[in-house]
Amino acid sequence: MTLESIPLAQAARVVGFRGLDEIDKIQLNGLGLRPGVLVTKILRTPLGDPIECLVGSQLLAIESRLLPHIRVEAL
Amino acid sequence: MKRIVALAGRPNTGKTTLFNALTGLRHRTANFAGCTVEKACGTAVAEGLEVEIVDLPGTFSLLAQTEDEKVSFRFLSECAQSSQDMIVFCVAEASNLDNDLVLACALKEAGYPVVLIVNMIDEARLNGVKVDYGILSATLDMRVIAASARTGEGVDKIIQVSGPDSARADLTHALDLRRASRKRLHDLQESATTLAHRACARSVTWPRTHVLRTIARSIDIDRVLMHPVVGPLVLAATMTLLFQALFVGARPIMDFFSELLASSSNLLRARLPEGSLAGLLCDGVIPGVSAVVVFVPQIAILFAMIGFLEQSGYLPRAGAMIDRALRPLGLDGRVFIPFLSSFACAIPGILAARTIPNEKRRLVTILLTPLMTCSARIPVYTLLISAFVPASLRPWGMDGQGVVMAAMYAFGVLVALMLALVLKFTYLQESHPPPATLLPPYRLPSPRELLRYVWARCWHFLSRAGQIIFLLSIVLWALASFPRDHSRLDPLEAELRSVAAGRSPAARSQLELQAMIASARIEGSALGRAGRAIEPLFKPLGWDWRVSVAALSALAAREVFVGTLGTIYALGGDSQGSQDLIKALRQARNEDGTPRYGLATAVSLIIFFAIALQCISTIVTLRRETGGWKWPGLLFCCLFVLAYSIAFAGYRLTIALGG
Repeated sequence: MTLESIPLAQAARVVGFRGLDEIDKIQLNGLGLRPGVLVTKILRTPLGDPIECLVGSQLLAIESRLLPHIRVEAL
Repeated sequence: MKRIVALAGRPNTGKTTLFNALTGLRHRTANFAGCTVEKACGTAVAEGLEVEIVDLPGTFSLLAQTEDEKVSFRFLSECAQSSQDMIVFCVAEASNLDNDLVLACALKEAGYPVVLIVNMIDEARLNGVKVDYGILSATLDMRVIAASARTGEGVDKIIQVSGPDSARADLTHALDLRRASRKRLHDLQESATTLAHRACARSVTWPRTHVLRTIARSIDIDRVLMHPVVGPLVLAATMTLLFQALFVGARPIMDFFSELLASSSNLLRARLPEGSLAGLLCDGVIPGVSAVVVFVPQIAILFAMIGFLEQSGYLPRAGAMIDRALRPLGLDGRVFIPFLSSFACAIPGILAARTIPNEKRRLVTILLTPLMTCSARIPVYTLLISAFVPASLRPWGMDGQGVVMAAMYAFGVLVALMLALVLKFTYLQESHPPPATLLPPYRLPSPRELLRYVWARCWHFLSRAGQIIFLLSIVLWALASFPRDHSRLDPLEAELRSVAAGRSPAARSQLELQAMIASARIEGSALGRAGRAIEPLFKPLGWDWRVSVAALSALAAREVFVGTLGTIYALGGDSQGSQDLIKALRQARNEDGTPRYGLATAVSLIIFFAIALQCISTIVTLRRETGGWKWPGLLFCCLFVLAYSIAFAGYRLTIALGG
């Protein structure tokens, strides 16, 4: 299951990344999006991209192109 | 040698607020060596001795991705290599310790002396987050200080720790982060993440609620401010307010400064004997001061608003909202405010690009902002449109002159977006735009912090770009005043003296004579001669030497074009004469009786003014912000060629269409 398929407001846990560019992975890790962290999609910005997500105890606007590469398990 | 205290940490941890709390107003900004990333330095007095505080750019991880991160690690490594007495204060947000501790742990593992500053403890209390600082310190094996830079709580302790009394740190084993292998940095980052999690699990008690109070409140606000309908409306209203404040709000203060300086100039002129000293002071120094001071109200208003939006947390959200629309052009939402600000003046727009953390994106934004239609172009457009676009032109029942003016605004934006598209295929394209943006919780900005922010920006402008703008204004005055063509000036001045003394019948009035003298002065000056020399270059655009001189003088400020043309046509240099100038331009004839200027000349002039980078203040600010003359020089040349080519095409096309 990926973050793309998780509906808004559904809590999930990040289990890993698949097919993600190494640089994107490093940047997401730096921002706190790493395996084990809880993630919830909050809302779509007015143009549909990026997506506002609650990641751990902070809010991130994540580009929607990355969502299919972030593997999660629903909670 | 002064001790250096480097403030490191992720963005939005309150580093700059802490820096301000430690240094007060004893700080200055400069660029890190060899790049344009800004370095804020200041001094704090600890135990009676000064320590140097350096606010490093925000860093997320040891695996540096952005220019900001590379600069921060280069600074730390250089200090370690040169055996500086340095400690790193790693700032972490108390409510976000699981993420913010990683950098502190990584730097410690890399051999740097780190003191952890747990900031925003007031917000953590509000969130119900409890931290056992003793356990945290023991687990991390580093000194921990709890503080709130906003309220000042704990700042005394930080100053005490930064003092020279604490033992000099050993940096001999510190890792050179510039040269360390990727694998080594990766391993350090991994072990730091593990240690940070362990320390957090042992020392932090989270509230029972799933979402922190400040975050829950921010989500509620976002549901309104990022709503598909309300969000864009609020954004449009915010930007309209900013634009209005810059255009309308700053105008009375700018007018006040201009009038004050003009009155001083008149007062001085009345008291000083006619001559070069009076000319230098009244036409060189005072307008030079005016050229600098007049921008300050706009810069202050712009940065008060940007500071408010940034500190409240709305700015990154506004960027996220329009990000998608700009991405195909190689831009992103963060360019919006610099572009919008440039409609008032390119200088605050260029300075506003400082909110863009990515180096290449910031440079692209800086290079494109001068293309927005600034307020200085308006007098030029108004003159040319009024003189050459027929008032009878009414496309779709609208005022034709107004439509042309609006089209010029759109033209500037269009050229900027086209160039953005071109730059997308150069090395200036950001190879890896950030995949996500941190959205900090909404916070009420502190008035004290806001004032400091505005003051720092205004002072930065006055102390850096202001000096050069002032000097160049005087140089331009000298070029427009010397040498003097005595063969033409002497008879006119003699006639003026005679008329003033009432000795001869006044064939020409005193005012007419003064205007003729001003015209003769500029014609004979170096600037006037240069205008004649470059006339062949601009002949293909339909310009004669008068227009060429006026365009050269517009380097001081674009609106000077109108005044210079007025002076050349012996109408006086003030803008009140523009109605007479419109008439003079329409009636001007060549020796063969054909009109000297027509619609085609106006088209080429307007296009040239819309594109060319011909404002010294902007060029100087560009130099200041890009760290050298390379980019302003390149931009000046490229925009000149582009402006010339399109103006030529516009001129020929208008003639072909019978204009």
